[in-house]
Amino acid sequence: MRNKYIENFENAQISEKNVPDFRAGDTVRLAVTIKEGDKSRVQSYEGVCIALHGTGTGRTMTIRKIGANGIGIERIFPMYTDSISEIKVIRRGRVRRAKLYYLRDLAGKKARIKEIRR
Amino acid sequence: MEYIVEKIGMSRTITVPAVPVTLLKLVDTKVCEVTDGTAIVAYGSGKKSNKAIAGKQKQYSLEANFNRFATLSVANTEAGDIDLTPLAEAKVLKTSMTTKGRGFAGVVKRWNFGGGPGSHGHRFHRTGGSIGNCEWPGRVMKGRKMAGQMGNVKVTVKNEIVSYDAENGILAVKGSVPGANGGLGRVKVAR
Repeated sequence: MRNKYIENFENAQISEKNVPDFRAGDTVRLAVTIKEGDKSRVQSYEGVCIALHGTGTGRTMTIRKIGANGIGIERIFPMYTDSISEIKVIRRGRVRRAKLYYLRDLAGKKARIKEIRR
Repeated sequence: MEYIVEKIGMSRTITVPAVPVTLLKLVDTKVCEVTDGTAIVAYGSGKKSNKAIAGKQKQYSLEANFNRFATLSVANTEAGDIDLTPLAEAKVLKTSMTTKGRGFAGVVKRWNFGGGPGSHGHRFHRTGGSIGNCEWPGRVMKGRKMAGQMGNVKVTVKNEIVSYDAENGILAVKGSVPGANGGLGRVKVAR
C-alpha cells in the first residue's frame, strides 16, 4: 500500500487527466506536443503498447512502432505527462503476457497481434 | 522560522519538465515558552516518557503525546499552537535531517576511491593504499580520507517549495532531502 499523503498528492494531479483504460497488446495513438524553440506543435505517435510500468504520477507506457525501413522504434512516455494531450485506443489485442518484450525479436507476420472482437 | 517535519517520501509532478518532489509533513507542534523569537516547543514521537518529560508536560499543561522538546525560532509571540503563516509565503526551505547511517564504511564507499582490479593477480582491491609520504613530513596530513563511520550525521539542504497544502500540512519541495522516510527533521524558511 502506498502512503496516503503521496497518493493524495498524486491523485490531485491525475484526477483531471482523461486516460483511457488499455494494456499491453493494445494499439494506441498519442498526440505528443513537441516544442521547437518558441513554437510548439502536435505530433501523433502510433504503436503497440508493449509494457505498462509503475504507479501514480510515475506510471509509464512503452509504445513500439515499426518506423521507416522496418526499424523498430520504442518510446517510453509518462502516462500522465502534460505533453500528451490525447491518448486514443485504436485496437485491442489478445495477448497472454503483461510485457511483450518478445516482440523485439520478431518481425513481419510473426509480430502480429490478434484483435479482440466484441 | 523553523518547523519540525516528518519525511514522507518522494513523488513527481506531471508538468513539462517534470519536477521530482519530496513530501514533508508538518508535525503537530505546541509552543511552550517564547523569548524574543526563539521558543521551547513540544512535539510527539513514539511513546517515550519519564519523570523529566512528565514534569515538563505538567509545567506546560501538555497532553501525554507531546513527549519531545526542542528549541526553534518561531513567529508566535505567546504559547499555543505553532504559527504556520510564514510557510504560505515561503519560497525556499532549508531542511536539516539525519542521513541514513552506513556504519563503518571503507574508502571506496565512503570517499569514492577507485579501488583496484578484482583479479588477475592483484593484491590491491578495496584498500586505501598509501596515506602519506616518508620521513618528511613524518606524519599523516590532516583531513586524510580514510575508512570510518559514514552517514548518521545531520545534513542541511536547500530546496524550493513546489506546493504547500495547508489543510493537511504537507510541503512538497523540489529534489531530495537526506534521511529515511518517516524520519524527523526541521525546516527553516530561507526565503
